[in-house]
Amino acid sequence: MKKIAIFILSVVIAITTFAAIPKKTNRLVNDYAGLFTPVQLSTLEQYLVAFADTTSTQILIVTTPDLDGYSISDYAFKIGEEWGVGQAEHDNGLVIVIKPKNDTKGQAFIATGYGLEGALPDAVCKEIVDLEMIPYFRDNNYYAGVVAALNIIMPVAAGEYSYNEARYSDLPIATIIIVAMVVFALVLSVSKKGGSDNNNFGGGRGNGGIDPFTALWLGSMVGRNHSGSFGNFSGGSGGFGGFGGGSFGGGGAGGSW
Amino acid sequence: MKKLSTGWIVLIAVAAIVFIGVVWGVSTNNRMITAEEGVSSAWAQVENVYQRRMDLIPNLVSTVKGAADFEKGTLEAVIDARSKATSVQVNADDLTEANIAAFQRAQDGLSSALSRLMVTVERYPELKATQNFRDLQAQLEGTENRIAVERNKFNEVVKAYNTMIRKFPNSIIASMGGFEKKGYFKAAEGADKAPEVNFEF
Repeated sequence: MKKIAIFILSVVIAITTFAAIPKKTNRLVNDYAGLFTPVQLSTLEQYLVAFADTTSTQILIVTTPDLDGYSISDYAFKIGEEWGVGQAEHDNGLVIVIKPKNDTKGQAFIATGYGLEGALPDAVCKEIVDLEMIPYFRDNNYYAGVVAALNIIMPVAAGEYSYNEARYSDLPIATIIIVAMVVFALVLSVSKKGGSDNNNFGGGRGNGGIDPFTALWLGSMVGRNHSGSFGNFSGGSGGFGGFGGGSFGGGGAGGSW
Repeated sequence: MKKLSTGWIVLIAVAAIVFIGVVWGVSTNNRMITAEEGVSSAWAQVENVYQRRMDLIPNLVSTVKGAADFEKGTLEAVIDARSKATSVQVNADDLTEANIAAFQRAQDGLSSALSRLMVTVERYPELKATQNFRDLQAQLEGTENRIAVERNKFNEVVKAYNTMIRKFPNSIIASMGGFEKKGYFKAAEGADKAPEVNFEF
């Protein structure tokens, strides 16, 4: 009798547990909390798809108004593991979960797949959340916070620079990489008038040297001007080739505000 | 064409059944070996993340010790719990319920000693503010997360393995091959959640 009761209980727990995590989609940005405008959404998506195509590292962003009783870390690991973010052979997936401040405090978490734990140790993830994301999130500027974080995460995750180089260097490394990626996307999308806006992203020197907005603005221009042709570069409407089956072991860190 | 006698037909049928049985038995045995290996490697990961926590503690202790007149009691409790936890090791081919329960008890003792230490640290703001301590705190939180994740993964693998060996007719092969039921981590007293290290007063 007791065994049966335990069995039923565990089935119930399994079912409710299963229901809480959002079902796998074929997008890299899943804005369930409605934090981004449509333009921001498609810009971020294209940005992340281009990054996944060039480096094979998959970065998934999930926003949710409610964590359904999970701690934010569990939520991020479960999504990462169940959706299979990152390539199975490298486990190079990364999940960013944002729960905006509503009735309860705001929380953000960066979960790293096994393969990214070396490049982005927990202490680094913690700093990125505390120093790049939360200052913007406090002002309800979620897009800017995500972009600021990605500007550090991307070059580091791609293995091109260490965290300290990406963050404290005088060179606008992140901008260079983003520009290179946008150019890459432009080339692939058979651009007709790409490059005409060159003078717009030469700025961003001095204080950390990162100027995400010009680059992303350019990205969004690309999205607007060539929305028809953008799908060409990897086929299909979303352009994302699908999750690769990466695995998560509890790496990463988060913060709250 | 010569007609086979009934005796021959029976003999061939028996031989065919035996052959099928042996093939099934061998393949079942092999699947169980694979599943058992999966349990062993999941256990290795569990040990790995617990070891990671052990390795953090000397660093944590020396950082905290540096703070002016830090409470001795909580520190000693952590050191004691660590040495207790170190003494309880479970071999991958001996993952019985009792062994895992003993392992879990020792490690949970360390978990609670650590969370008491983190609560005490709240009373030392200068210590809390140092970069060294904040890095350690992030690492410790990350380690607790890893422990929770690897324990869950271990439990899932064990569940699949236990189900496999206990189902009929697999259970026949399991008892012949000496495959034994493995223990789980218990989620008692909310122990499946990583202890909340981040206290806000």
